[in-house]
Amino acid sequence: MGLKVGENHLRDLMDWVEEIALRDQSTIAEILTWKPIVDIESDPRLGRADKLKRVKEELRRLRFPRLAQIEDSIRMRIQELRLHPEIRLTVPRGLEGGKLRVEFSASTPEELKKLTGKLAEVTAANSIREIFALLAGEAVENR
Amino acid sequence: MQLFQPQEVVVERGSEASPIYRNLRNALLRTPFRIVDSVSTESETRVSFASTFGASKKRLFLTRHKGEFLKKCPGSDGQVCCNYFVINFASNCPMDCSYCYLQEYLADNPDLKIFSNVDDLLSEADELLSKHRRFFFRIGTGEITDSLALDPYIGFAREVVPFFAEQSNALLELKTKSDCVEGLLVLDPKDRVVVSWSMNPQLVIDRDEHGTASLSERLLAARRCQNAGYRLGFHFDPIVEYPNWESDYEDMLDQTFSSVDWRRIAWLSMGVLRDTPSLKRIIRGRFPQTRLLTGEQVLCPDGKLRYFQPMRVDIYRKMLRWIRRAAPTVKVYLCMESKEVWEQVFGFVPSCEKELGNQMAPSC
Repeated sequence: MGLKVGENHLRDLMDWVEEIALRDQSTIAEILTWKPIVDIESDPRLGRADKLKRVKEELRRLRFPRLAQIEDSIRMRIQELRLHPEIRLTVPRGLEGGKLRVEFSASTPEELKKLTGKLAEVTAANSIREIFALLAGEAVENR
Repeated sequence: MQLFQPQEVVVERGSEASPIYRNLRNALLRTPFRIVDSVSTESETRVSFASTFGASKKRLFLTRHKGEFLKKCPGSDGQVCCNYFVINFASNCPMDCSYCYLQEYLADNPDLKIFSNVDDLLSEADELLSKHRRFFFRIGTGEITDSLALDPYIGFAREVVPFFAEQSNALLELKTKSDCVEGLLVLDPKDRVVVSWSMNPQLVIDRDEHGTASLSERLLAARRCQNAGYRLGFHFDPIVEYPNWESDYEDMLDQTFSSVDWRRIAWLSMGVLRDTPSLKRIIRGRFPQTRLLTGEQVLCPDGKLRYFQPMRVDIYRKMLRWIRRAAPTVKVYLCMESKEVWEQVFGFVPSCEKELGNQMAPSC
């Protein structure tokens, strides 16, 4: 790999690659020459930091496929809510804690009222129920 | 189960008068015994950890314990605690599970030690239990060793079971992965002693619980203990997730409940595989081929790695469903889990650690 990697990143990456190899009975070389990884590395539009970030994300997805799938499902449902840009819904990385984090900021009482109203509107949405179900380890229909 | 055959027993001077020494001499007729002034100087010749931890299981030290024997289980930061007390009558274990936390916990002091001053242990327990008659104590001996794996050699159970059998405010739990119950069968526990097993499907035992009793040996031993009047406990811990884990665990639970009378089970616990980043390094070094570490574990706020929360909640719910099918009212608790996980699995969280501990008290 032609990436300059710091010690902590390198340790994570090496652990993941070794664990994927052990789990899938493949070799480290096979994983590092996996097409999505090679595509990122050879993409001339990406700088070194972006390449590293994307390679790490791809390897994380490969290492934690079911976690990544649930994170994707939650992300997709948050997008479906089409929230006001000032409202942000996030879940913790790794989904530990089972809680949905809600953030919004307002500069006037009227704005606050408007945002809480918008938020109240989405609480009944099916996507919200499904997000909590996913956080609670329940099966949710794939879309 | 693999026989324990130490290469040597090193006895600290002063321990020869203890019943443990006498039992060891009678049980290990061909093993050389060496009397030394201090065991601490004996263990200063370590080379590398990887070789030392395994090698330390081959040499048995008999020494006096200088500190307190009885301690509160430390649990894990921020997790629901089950109000458990531990007696450390020994340190380290003759068996060698790949996931064992002792590899990290005892890294600086891995010697396999038995403490000879059982009389001090019993005096300390007597003082504590007498002083707090209204408090119910659940006390285990399997925290930094296996409660029974060495019992055929040291006869510890027959020193402590008669004492705990007479206590009205305590239950003694002997937790094991062995089938070494012979010494228990001649004693009367008077409903005050729980013998419990850490349970896993045979596949996990074969892969990662080296030197332990097989699943069927554990269940046979459990049935013998039940017939001898002991209450039983089962700890489904660590639960390991792997392809088709469901059928193996469901089958193991079916075997368990068809082997024993669930109404004589004092408690069951569940806990998923957990380790720390530093234990993980040790496991990788000592057991490079184990697939334990390939599960989808994430770092939790208490510094331990566990399967990510929705996955482990799903695991616990399935396990609980299979347990409830066979044993509808048996007491089940989670080991080292957060309030959120308790809520998601059981629909409630114990209001305090005392409540959870008291739930385990015998109703009689």
